[in-house]
Amino acid sequence: MTEVIQLTRKDFVSDQTVRWCPGCGDYAILAQIQKVLPELGRPKEDFVFISGIGCSSRFPYYMDTYGIHSIHGRAPTLATGLKIANPNLSVWVITGDGDGLSIGGNHFVHVLRRNVDLNIILFNNRIYGLTKGQYSPTSEQGKITKSSPMGSLEQPLNPISVAIGAEATFVARTVDTNVKHMAEMLRRAAAHKGTSIVEVYQNCVIFNNGAYSYATDSKTKSENVLELEHGKPMIFGKNRDKGIRLNGLNPEVVSLDAVDESELLVHDETMPEPSLAYMLSRMRQPAFPEPIGVFRDVQKPVYEEGVMAQVKQAKAQKGEGDLAKMYGNADTWEVVSSEFDDEYTSVLFHGENTADRDVAHALLTDTLADLSPKKPLTAHVDISLADAVARLKEVNVGFLALVDDDGNLAGVFTEWDIFTKVACKIKDMSQERVKDYMTPNVTTLGRSDTIAHALHLMAINHFRHIPIVNEDGKPEGVISFRSVVHFLEENFAPGKTNGKS
Amino acid sequence: MTKLKDAIFEDVESITIRFAGDSGDGMQLTGTQFSNSAAIFGNDISTLPDFPAEIRAPAGTLAGVSGFQVNFSSEDILTPGDAPQVLVAMNPAALKANLPDLVTGGTIIVNTDAFTKGNLKKAGYTENPLENDSLKDYVVHKLPITSLNRAALEHIEGLTSKDIDRCKNFFALGLTFWIYDRPLDTSLEFIERKFGKKLPIIAEANKTALQAGYSVGHNTEAFQTRYHIKPASLEPGLYRKVTGNEATAMGLITAAKKAGKPLFYGTYPITPASDILHFLAAQKNFDVRTFQAEDEIAAMGSVLGAAFGGAFAVTGTSGPGIALKSEAMNLGIMLELPMVIVNVQRGGPSTGLPTKTEQSDLLQAMYGRNGESPMPVLAPATPSDCFDMAIEAFRLAVRATTPVCILSDGYLGNSAEPWLIPNPDDIEPIVVTHPTAPNSQNGSGKFLPYKRDPESLGRPWAIPGTPGLEHRLGGLAKQPETGNVSYVPAENQQMNNERAEKVARLANVIPEQEVVGPQSGDLLVVSWGSTFGAVRSAVMRLQKAGKTVSHAHIRYLNPFPKNMGDILDRFDRILVPEMNMGQLIILLRGKYGTHNFIPFNKVQGRPFTISEVADRIESLL
Ligand code: SF4
Repeated sequence: MTEVIQLTRKDFVSDQTVRWCPGCGDYAILAQIQKVLPELGRPKEDFVFISGIGCSSRFPYYMDTYGIHSIHGRAPTLATGLKIANPNLSVWVITGDGDGLSIGGNHFVHVLRRNVDLNIILFNNRIYGLTKGQYSPTSEQGKITKSSPMGSLEQPLNPISVAIGAEATFVARTVDTNVKHMAEMLRRAAAHKGTSIVEVYQNCVIFNNGAYSYATDSKTKSENVLELEHGKPMIFGKNRDKGIRLNGLNPEVVSLDAVDESELLVHDETMPEPSLAYMLSRMRQPAFPEPIGVFRDVQKPVYEEGVMAQVKQAKAQKGEGDLAKMYGNADTWEVVSSEFDDEYTSVLFHGENTADRDVAHALLTDTLADLSPKKPLTAHVDISLADAVARLKEVNVGFLALVDDDGNLAGVFTEWDIFTKVACKIKDMSQERVKDYMTPNVTTLGRSDTIAHALHLMAINHFRHIPIVNEDGKPEGVISFRSVVHFLEENFAPGKTNGKS
Repeated sequence: MTKLKDAIFEDVESITIRFAGDSGDGMQLTGTQFSNSAAIFGNDISTLPDFPAEIRAPAGTLAGVSGFQVNFSSEDILTPGDAPQVLVAMNPAALKANLPDLVTGGTIIVNTDAFTKGNLKKAGYTENPLENDSLKDYVVHKLPITSLNRAALEHIEGLTSKDIDRCKNFFALGLTFWIYDRPLDTSLEFIERKFGKKLPIIAEANKTALQAGYSVGHNTEAFQTRYHIKPASLEPGLYRKVTGNEATAMGLITAAKKAGKPLFYGTYPITPASDILHFLAAQKNFDVRTFQAEDEIAAMGSVLGAAFGGAFAVTGTSGPGIALKSEAMNLGIMLELPMVIVNVQRGGPSTGLPTKTEQSDLLQAMYGRNGESPMPVLAPATPSDCFDMAIEAFRLAVRATTPVCILSDGYLGNSAEPWLIPNPDDIEPIVVTHPTAPNSQNGSGKFLPYKRDPESLGRPWAIPGTPGLEHRLGGLAKQPETGNVSYVPAENQQMNNERAEKVARLANVIPEQEVVGPQSGDLLVVSWGSTFGAVRSAVMRLQKAGKTVSHAHIRYLNPFPKNMGDILDRFDRILVPEMNMGQLIILLRGKYGTHNFIPFNKVQGRPFTISEVADRIESLL
């Protein structure tokens, strides 16, 4: 861990020349953010500023922090991805009324409903500045601009109403000229866990100068602005002689000369239901003073914390991801290097000396009797496992036919059974009966079946041996793949005379 | 003792079966079960699901027909088979929609119970095709599957008639298992796993249906011939079945794990890419962080943010999604951060053919952004190749600090093939270094975010949270090294040159292009992406028949392998089959000048068949 060094405003000033118009409200916001960040007690490298496009979105270039000047309206999406990748960062989104509410309107509501832990500062100058003065989605209806010479037809969006509609967990408004209030709102936003949205009334001196003069002019502002304070009655006016009272479902302005303070609406930021906050957001000039301050501050689960909790939970349930396990998490099958290896196959199918007699034909016509099947090693089905293994060892073969009292084949016990069911699994073989380890229901053939048929069974079932039984079901022989190969070698291998015709 | 019934066994090399029915009939499940069982048995398999575009089209109509084609073989196979030899049709619409594809003389198994007046009408039949001679060129097995299935299940208590009818796909499956001599075990196990604990009655019903179908095959005289397909000789090892989308997802997870990174997947649901999201969302224990964004744009934006934050960041989408993402992809080019964009292409333009395949987004991947925006483009050739290419994409993205595009497609994404399960230890780690100290050499202590690696021309990937390396990135033109906003003409030229050069230099680290067949001569077939199976099979078929033709299948489209030009120079004529109207040809002509290129194009929402390609090649010989 690095020591916490006391940072100052200067630490956050980048080497780039600020290029906003002289007198632009953006300067004040930049100054306040640079002032507040050192107070937050976080190392500088943890701060990231992400913006979209517009005058305000130049902001990251002027901050000596990590930052991205992204594309129009999309800053919340980059910020979301960044927070999911690294939830420890303090991520700030800088946007404007065009960037955040017009082209980026979709992302704006979705980031709020997800409650990603971000601080969104929305510079609302109610105009398009960078593109030189068209009306914006927050411009008042009837606004005369270059793109609306006869007045804009559209009803404006109210950023605070939209944010509350999306159930944002922290919603505040401040004014560019009221720097103390702005600093306090920034601190509150930074302290809030979840998405914080702060709307700043920002003056564009070039294209919309004086849009907020009612709220900034020292002569009129106290009559036109209502400063919200948690737990306090809503009082405003130069002489603090007016208040807001609820009349039914609607707010009304009352004079404190006529109404007692106790009748006034008391502000509560923490109401889980957003109705009061929404009602406040609808209060607009000239009918009402416009509220500034924190409209809403509630706690809800934070998105990226949820993401990380699921990762943690998945690890707890399934263990740390294991690639081999994941690859094998399906029906799998083993392809063994086939007993029909190349040498045999070439004898089988490309035998060099097959002029007189076709191998395939021989296999289809010759019978198992032609292989002169050996007598199988036989034992009673009730013997112990130890005895069965001993018998196989003794005679050095891989196949034991097990018969019942009548001498009928009851099952077979092979080296494969030892390999798969016995080896390393059974401690005391003398206590176990071979019956429980043999392969019952054995596929058998008769002496008159064709060699092809036997080969086919071996191929599809991976049999190494097939017992031969007589009509009564008594074992009389066993053939193995090897016996077939010998037969072929005898009859067809190069240099040998061809077999019977 | 097992006694084999005396049916005639016919040994065949490979068989292609198509299961078709209403989308509600469970045909996808049936096809999957059949292919699982064939795969486990050791056959090489290749599958092709065919979904209807409408999720819940009215039952019995042509629009609602869902199909699943399986090709299984004793040979190494590369495609789901051309025309099916066997069609299992659960209703008239399924018969009508699929009959044109069936080979003449092929086998049809129909559920006669579904051939009611109403269903015939819905399918647009004026006459019952089972009662006139319209099917005389085929071997038709008419079975009342619905009622046979009902009879088999009537003794099981606690089943509604709806439950019973839903089992009929397993009945049909049992029947095909008998015909093709497949064991029932895999499917019985599957049923047990899927329903056994929770719904024991349903499990019993499905098992009974499966076995009943098998017995019907066994006892019905109609099926005189059974088929054996011997196990294929695949390279020894442990196998599983994998679809392209699964392989892509596993490749991405592997890449992240091999780099010791979290995997971030920001996406918006879109056919046919959504399966990647579903797969990844279930693998959070690998520190996979999935983000289902509000739209395609947000998905791409989130990927940029996550890449900046140091994660292995990926988005997956299809063509229409790429259209929306282009602006943010372009910012990725400017930010020069590593990330991967997976495009599981589908038929276009516009909404096009959402559930069908095409490879017509190649030029979009190359040039579909404003300004000069060079982006590496990779194209997996087979479903399992998607795994390798996903890892490769990250390797290149990290090396050149750039977004990399993978062009998969609907056919690769949904098709399955056997996959030799790799040993994770054999996969090379991806080495990622994040700088921790300033890199300027003049002692100023400054960090220069665009000071490039002299060899790769990649830039340092410094991530937020690193003390002393604070820097700003953005989409505006930049000064070299500092990355500061700059409109100086020469600086803009230099940065454009460097971004192009770093992509071009990836050619130094990708494999050379291989040519199968003679290395020079008259005719070379050049293909890319999912057409690999059909083209390679066609070329091999002709080579076996003694014809002289070569094949180069390109997996790296930008940059092309270094020796690509030399290869083209060595052939007189170059045939380029593509599931678009000729996009690779434009790239090849642009880069390597005028060779004698012969286009061979198709945009029908379906992959090439082997015969189509073979016939075209043969017509040139
Ligand atoms: S145009 Fe307006 S908003 Fe933009 S910098 Fe100038 S004064 Fe500020």
